[in-house]
Amino acid sequence: MGDTAVTIRVGDRVDAGLARHVRALAERIRDARVPAIQEIVVGYAALTVWYDALHADYAQVADTIESILADAPGDEAPPRHAREHQIPVRYDGPDLREVAERTGLTIAEVIARHSERWYEVYLIGFVPGWAYLGDLDPALVLPRRDAPRTRVPAGSVGIAGAQTGVYPLTTPGGWHLLGHTSAVLFDPGADPPALLAPGDRVRFVPVRDDGDRPPDA
Amino acid sequence: MATGRPMLEIVVPPPYLTLQDRGRPGFRNQGVPASGAMDPWALSMANVLVGNAPGAAALEWGLAGGTIRWTRAGCCALAGAHVDATLDDTPVQMHRSYRVRAGSTLTVGRFVTGRFAYVAVDGGIDAPPVLGSRATYLPGRFGGWHGRLLRAGDRLPLGLPQSRAPVTDRAIPAGLEPRYDSTSCRVVPGPHATLFGPSGWDQLTAAPFRIDAVSDRMGYRLAGRALEHQVDTTLPSAPVCPGAVQVPAGGLPIVLMADAPTVGGYPVIAVVASVDLPLIVQRQPGQEIQLAPSTVPELQRALRARAVAVHTLMHLVRAQS
Repeated sequence: MGDTAVTIRVGDRVDAGLARHVRALAERIRDARVPAIQEIVVGYAALTVWYDALHADYAQVADTIESILADAPGDEAPPRHAREHQIPVRYDGPDLREVAERTGLTIAEVIARHSERWYEVYLIGFVPGWAYLGDLDPALVLPRRDAPRTRVPAGSVGIAGAQTGVYPLTTPGGWHLLGHTSAVLFDPGADPPALLAPGDRVRFVPVRDDGDRPPDA
Repeated sequence: MATGRPMLEIVVPPPYLTLQDRGRPGFRNQGVPASGAMDPWALSMANVLVGNAPGAAALEWGLAGGTIRWTRAGCCALAGAHVDATLDDTPVQMHRSYRVRAGSTLTVGRFVTGRFAYVAVDGGIDAPPVLGSRATYLPGRFGGWHGRLLRAGDRLPLGLPQSRAPVTDRAIPAGLEPRYDSTSCRVVPGPHATLFGPSGWDQLTAAPFRIDAVSDRMGYRLAGRALEHQVDTTLPSAPVCPGAVQVPAGGLPIVLMADAPTVGGYPVIAVVASVDLPLIVQRQPGQEIQLAPSTVPELQRALRARAVAVHTLMHLVRAQS
C-alpha cells in the first residue's frame, strides 16, 4: 500500500476463521523481528505492514514477508498474547426497548443473548481503542440505525450487524445502544492505550450499577 | 499568570489553529492514526529555518485570522500555504526566518494560496507529548494543547532553542523552497486496484479531479467524473493510510489524510506518493489535481531524495549567517 507499507489480502469477507488466520500471519511476521518493519495492523481479511522506506525497498520487504509466511507451520495455535476481559455493563441503553421490539425478544432475553457469550476481538480501528467484537447471537442481528446519533457517550455498548462494541470516545455513531460500561476502552496515558487487542476474548457482565457513572452520563 | 516560563500567547482567536509535529506512528494497531502535520514538507521547512529539528512541534494554521504574541525574544518562520502575515505590523515573507522580541505579535491573514500554513518558533512548542508526539488529534481530543483547537488566552510553553542566538534572516536558497504549482500527483495501485480493472485505473488517471469543499484533516473528497464501476464498496474493514484513495459507492474518490481512521471499509484503488500528498493538501476547494500513474520504486526514490533535501537544507540554512 503506497510507498511505506505492504498489504497482504487473504480474502474479502468477515469470517472468524479468516480473521484468526490474519492474526496468526501478523504474529509470525512480528516474531521474525525484521528490523525494517515498524508496525503491523490487522483487518478482517487483510493485514498491513509499515516499514522504513528510507532504508528498505518494497521488493526486499515483500520478499522477506513472503519467505516468513512460506515457512508456515501446519496448524495455527491461538495467539499467545490473547487475554480475556469481563466488562461490566449496565443494560439501560436508549435502544434496548426498540431492539427487543424489532427482534421479537423480551428485554431480558436481549440482555441474556448479548451477555451470555464470549466475543472475539476481530480488529481495532474506526476510532482509537474501538474493538469490533463478534459474532453476535443471530437473533440480535439488525442493520445500523437509519439516523446515526451525532453524539454517543464514551462507554456506550452497542450492536450493529453481527458485531458488538463499546464506544471508547464520545463520537457520532449509528449502532443500537444497549447499555453502558465504566470500563475505560482507551486511555492515551496508558500503556498500551487500548484495553482490547485483536484476538482477545470479551464477555459483557450485566450489573445493576456500574459504580461511577450515572445513567445518561 | 505568574510563570516566568517563555510562552507563546494566543491573543486573537484563530478559527482553526492546532499544534502539530511529525506525528505519532507506532500506535495504528491501537486504532490511533499517525496524525501530525498535513504538510510535513512545509513543517520541516519552517522548523529548519529557525534551527529546530525538522519534525518539531509548530503551529498549523488552517484558516485565516488570529494573532500570537511572544513573551521572550527569539525567531519564527512561516512555510506551507502562502498567507498574508504581519510581524509587528510589517509584512513577512514565506520561507524566511525573522527575529522576534518579547512582546512581538504575529498576525496571519488571508490565504493567498494553499490550505495549511506553518509557523515554527525556535525551540519548538513544549506541550506535553501524548503517545510520543505533540500532534493534536482532534477526533480523539488528545495531543497538542489539551486535544483541542487553540483559542484566545492559551499560553503555550516554548522549548529551549538549540542555538544560543536566534536564527534570523535565514532563507531557503532560491529554487529549493517547496513548490506547490504542479497539479500532477503520482499514485500507485492500491490493495483493491485489481477489483476496478484497467478501465477503473484509466478513469482515475485520465482526467483531473477538483478538490471538493468537503475536505479536512481526515480526508479530501474529489469532485469530477465519477468512476463507473461494479465493485462492492462495503468491504470488510482493512488497514488504510494517509494518501489512500478510497472509492465509495458513488464513484467519486476520497483521499485519506493525516487524521483518517486506521481502518476503512471502502476499496482503496490507489495510494498517493508520500512526497506528492502535500500537493493535494495545499489545493483549495475547486482547484484541480491530476493523478498520474507511477511505480513504488520511483516513489521510494523520491521519498529518499526528499529526506536528503531536508538535511541538505538544514546544513545550507545553518551555514548562512
